[in-house]
Amino acid sequence: MAVISSSFSYSVFHFPLPCYSAPSSRLSLSVSRTRLSASMDSSDELRAKFMEFPHVSGSHRDLMVELLSSVETRLGSSLQPCTLPPDVQHFGHPTGNASASLQLRPGLPSSQENLNMYQIDLVLGSWIHCKLPSGGTLNITSLSAYLKPSTDAPHFLLDLIQSSPTSLVLVLDLTPRKDLILHPDHLKTYYEDTQLDRHRQRLHKLPEVRPYISPSLYIRALLSPTAILVTIDVGASETTNIEEIIRDHVSQVAKELLQFWIESCACPERHLEESERAYLAERDRIIKNTTIEVDLGSSFPRLFGQDVADRVLTVLKEQYNK
Amino acid sequence: MAIISGGFSCSAFRLALPSCSAPSSRLSVSRTRSSGLSASMNSGDEQRARLMEFPYVSGPHRDLMVELLSSVETRLGSSLRPCNLPPDVRHFGHPAGTAYASIQLRPGRPSSQIDFILGGWIHCKFPSGGALNITSLSGYLNSSTDAPNFRLELIQSIPTSLVLVLDLTPRKDLILHPDHLKTYYEDTQLDRYRQRLHALPEVSPYISPSLYVRAAVSPTAILVSIDVGAGETTAIEEIIQDHVGPVAKELLQFWMESCACTERCVGKAERAYLAERDRLIKNKTIELDLGSSFPRLFGQDVADRVLTVLTEHYKK
Repeated sequence: MAVISSSFSYSVFHFPLPCYSAPSSRLSLSVSRTRLSASMDSSDELRAKFMEFPHVSGSHRDLMVELLSSVETRLGSSLQPCTLPPDVQHFGHPTGNASASLQLRPGLPSSQENLNMYQIDLVLGSWIHCKLPSGGTLNITSLSAYLKPSTDAPHFLLDLIQSSPTSLVLVLDLTPRKDLILHPDHLKTYYEDTQLDRHRQRLHKLPEVRPYISPSLYIRALLSPTAILVTIDVGASETTNIEEIIRDHVSQVAKELLQFWIESCACPERHLEESERAYLAERDRIIKNTTIEVDLGSSFPRLFGQDVADRVLTVLKEQYNK
Repeated sequence: MAIISGGFSCSAFRLALPSCSAPSSRLSVSRTRSSGLSASMNSGDEQRARLMEFPYVSGPHRDLMVELLSSVETRLGSSLRPCNLPPDVRHFGHPAGTAYASIQLRPGRPSSQIDFILGGWIHCKFPSGGALNITSLSGYLNSSTDAPNFRLELIQSIPTSLVLVLDLTPRKDLILHPDHLKTYYEDTQLDRYRQRLHALPEVSPYISPSLYVRAAVSPTAILVSIDVGAGETTAIEEIIQDHVGPVAKELLQFWMESCACTERCVGKAERAYLAERDRLIKNKTIELDLGSSFPRLFGQDVADRVLTVLTEHYKK
């Protein structure tokens, strides 16, 4: 079964979100019936629905499938199955204007037998699709992975946000677990010695790429100094250019970073003092909860209506705070 | 008496620093005599005047620095002790005459929330012609407050391009302390200053080669390159006058009123946290900024002398 959960950081981006009015009671009755059919889907079907990434293009979809498959293959033995309710694994606005699919796999609890396993807290993968009032569509695909306080290695975060055929926002980062000023060794170990910045530099060389400045100060503060936070704009030319850039550049960088993260961050257990674990646990708790609030909490009601948003966010918060 | 000290982040920028060769021993002896003796004969007022001349930068650039330093003097002077740097640290240069600098460091009085204010300028001639000019002002607060520090640098290596660093640098981890983010950066709408400058076509984000600098600045930091291309030199001056100046003055004003002078209740545990974090920041500044660039700019001897004195002050 697959995996993945992601942080939708698109509410923190400058996209005009559609505001859908609440459906009539008759409509909501039929929606409930639809929801029933969702719950009748088996978990395999739901996973398959997720892995289709039905609304995005070839190279975009290929990339997501490849990344999620890597996670499944390499980390699967350290993860529990996705136990989200079916109507949280797949949901949408009652009017049908927006739909989404989530997969959340918690890490296995640490134990004596599992000393060598990956130190994963949870992995979240997802896609969101929304028809915009202007006629276009918004598509967001994401993958994020949080580590346990048994390690101080960075979390992993990837979002591709496409609101037009010629423009894509990419967030790709190994987000720090500690204050890099108070812990310069953390900066050195994970960001300087690893030369992580070369990935960011590589993308910035492309003429179509420029820095993206998130409207959320929290997101700006959260991301690492080597974060890739860019807009890729091909202007008025053919759509295929975004495809090519994903295929020829974004793809490679994303795969290399995930590879690095799996091998050098998720894997080794670090021998941490109790006080350090407590610090990490508290900081991670804030990160997970604030991300839900800032990313999803502000956009979900507008995308999916208040009822659906409340249902999904309640479940996610429970999972995040286990 | 005046003031100011800054974090010279020239080394953190992608500017090709000239490698000035060491002078011959005969030359260095005579230079030492002349620079040492005459410097020590200068009164403090003369030293301050030399700083405030900002002799190597243009009208609006100089005017801005003078205005900012004067504001600090006026508003915070009563909270500051005089500058007591030795004369040959207040003004120094490469023995070969290829680079000069002037700095002022005023420590805060024990009752104030100010640790110290540092201001100054650096001028360095390139072997190929042209020069590097850096002017800076920074304010460090002490652990009796958690308010942000102040940092301003203007770095110009060619007439048509300027790098500007202007920030209220956080004293705390903004993730672990979301209230700090809210109080100082969100509720104050500090980001509007950054947005204002970014609206200018000549302005683009400057990405420091130093990961530390990227991590240290706030989410609302102004870290930009201002490029006027092949146009007139005066355009940089106009941008300083019409845009950089007003923003810098407003931010300094805000910092002095709401950060330096507004009392905060800081508990014991928090003080310890702030003191430790501040200690690391100051050490890094010496190491990263000054420690790597000063030897190249001024030669090893001068650099050692200046850095030894500054390190003492930073560690007080």
